[in-house]
Amino acid sequence: MGIPQNAVQRTCQASPLHLSISPPLHLSILPTARLPAVLPQGSGELKTQPHPTYPHNRMIRSMFLRSTSVIAVIAAAAFAFSSTSPVVAQQKDVTIGLAVANLQADFFNQIKQSVEAEAKAKGVTVITVDAKGDSATQVSQIQDLITRGIKALIYIPAGATAAGVPVKTAKAAGIPVVCVDRTPPDNPGDTFIATDSVSAARTLGEYVGKITDGKGKVGILQGQLGTTPEMDRDKGFSEALAKFPGLQVVAKQPSKAWMQDEGFAIAQDMLQRHPDITVFFGRADALALGAAQAVKVGNLDHKVIVVGFDGDVAGLKAVRDGTLTATMTQQTQGMGRLALQSALDLIAGKKLPADQLQDAVLTTKENVEPFIAKHP
Amino acid sequence: MSDTKNATVDPSASVATSKGASWANWVIGVQGPLLGLILLCVIFAFTTNVFFSVRNALNVLDQVTVLGILAVGMTLVIVIGGIDLSVGSILAFGMMVMGWLKDSFNVPLPLAILIALLCGAVCGLINGLLVTKARLPAFIATLAMMSIGRGLANIVTDGRQVVGFPDWFTSLSTVRHFGFLSITVALFLILVAITWIFLRYRSAGRSLYAIGGSAEVARLAGIKVQTLTIWVYIAAGTLAGVAGIAQASRLDSSEPSAGLGYELDTIAAVVIGGASLSGGIGGIGGTIVGVLIIGVLHNGLNLIGVSPFIQQIIIGAVIAVAVMADTLRRKEA
Repeated sequence: MGIPQNAVQRTCQASPLHLSISPPLHLSILPTARLPAVLPQGSGELKTQPHPTYPHNRMIRSMFLRSTSVIAVIAAAAFAFSSTSPVVAQQKDVTIGLAVANLQADFFNQIKQSVEAEAKAKGVTVITVDAKGDSATQVSQIQDLITRGIKALIYIPAGATAAGVPVKTAKAAGIPVVCVDRTPPDNPGDTFIATDSVSAARTLGEYVGKITDGKGKVGILQGQLGTTPEMDRDKGFSEALAKFPGLQVVAKQPSKAWMQDEGFAIAQDMLQRHPDITVFFGRADALALGAAQAVKVGNLDHKVIVVGFDGDVAGLKAVRDGTLTATMTQQTQGMGRLALQSALDLIAGKKLPADQLQDAVLTTKENVEPFIAKHP
Repeated sequence: MSDTKNATVDPSASVATSKGASWANWVIGVQGPLLGLILLCVIFAFTTNVFFSVRNALNVLDQVTVLGILAVGMTLVIVIGGIDLSVGSILAFGMMVMGWLKDSFNVPLPLAILIALLCGAVCGLINGLLVTKARLPAFIATLAMMSIGRGLANIVTDGRQVVGFPDWFTSLSTVRHFGFLSITVALFLILVAITWIFLRYRSAGRSLYAIGGSAEVARLAGIKVQTLTIWVYIAAGTLAGVAGIAQASRLDSSEPSAGLGYELDTIAAVVIGGASLSGGIGGIGGTIVGVLIIGVLHNGLNLIGVSPFIQQIIIGAVIAVAVMADTLRRKEA
């Protein structure tokens, strides 16, 4: 019968109360504690579960046991990989919740990795949840984090609303909140860490004005409307362009999720309507990369300058290869470290400034290499 | 050892031997999923010490309310052998209509809510007409409505979100009366009770199963198949509107991107609860268990602190296992 039945026996033997989820068991079911190695096996067990060939009267019973065992294995696996494993038990009393807007976006993923790396170095436990861009999901997840007993919350609001509800909930539970990248205007957290997007977008706009001699037609691929980064980048870029009357914005279209495929489609349509576009500004690197691809397949008779924002790994490599002319590199690693430090400071009762705005660096082919080697 | 075995085996055994004697028989077809739910709870209770508490149970109820309200409507649709992919979009549309009326025209909120529900009902009506009169497959008709509804949700405010509702409105989902029951959760439970009675004891409710079994036979037996079908889609649309209001109350805001992908979560919950996508099988009891399985799973995995990426794999696996177990059990029965 293979693995599932073994698992059943173990489940039954371990204890009458499903205490099977104790460390010795999951170690025995799952040969190693390293995650990537185990996962395929885990799912393989599920897939290769043999079809029941039991005598008729035992069929139902065995089936229930088997599904029971599968769920038990899954949960055991979940437990084995949980970030609360005994390895980091020395500082178990400090647990910090990290609520991320959307891990599919490299920018947020970078912050997440940086927070987790810094936490590991400091011996702090971090529990990460991913709202996949849905603010209702995020409210639920933050409820769960509070139930879990976190001492501080690092909050990257999902969705356009930057819902204040999670901040309110956390504050009501006496938990300090560090907002990153976006902040709910009606319910600000204890401190807010973000890039100074207005000034960064202004720098980028001035650079575009300089390299085009102030002449050209601009297409803008906007981010998700109503979000703080979109509004700030719009403000800064518009301020800069106002100084170059020869640079004319001919098209401006919002994306839903700052994604590359959206950027490609939007830019392609823009080129259809305005084939004379000479500058694309993607409000995120992914959007800009999509636009660059649209320019490439469009076989245009003139050069188009494409600039992005964020300094994603993919964006930086594109700058190195000349696909993008420039991007503004945000200090994602620095912001992640700062977020964790701020959370610890707030736990210790320190008072922090309401806003901790970080600079972004104008990145072109000349200065991109060090950023690729080590992201700031 | 024997304790575990008995606890695990007893309910299923009694299903096989004496259907009437089973303790879970108050709703037919719930036993398998219910067992899975209990098992999940037991597992989480032993893997994290914060799961098994009244407060967390209330959190889970709060977290599944929107999904649950959608799933009530979806159960009706799936029982008649249809499908409704538009509920997430209608949710957003209703939510935006309410926020927009209140924000731009100072319409009193209760009236705005009524109009929002009406919008949901109209979307449902169009779904029903497309399915019955235009004879579109339900999948296509509601797919079209999914796109239309999302567009409408964005048009009303040109893609902007609406924030800042009156305190009484947000307290509908945040204040727990008698220490445990918020208005939105109570509403959800009432809707469940009404639909359960309807499906079990009203002739129209029983007719839905007949339609799902075979629409043609139901028609020959004198059931008004088209009328009932239209009403089912209207109910699903209206309930999506209700879910939108509940979500707006919970988030203290309306946003046009709300409810993206909820139709799939809803369908998953209904199917985990034992309903068959080919119609004629399913029930509210099972659906509620399905909704709770999804809710408890999300909640418990967050409490343990499982990485978000692994969570997705686990949730997918549990959906597959739950439905597989149920299908095999049915085949045997």
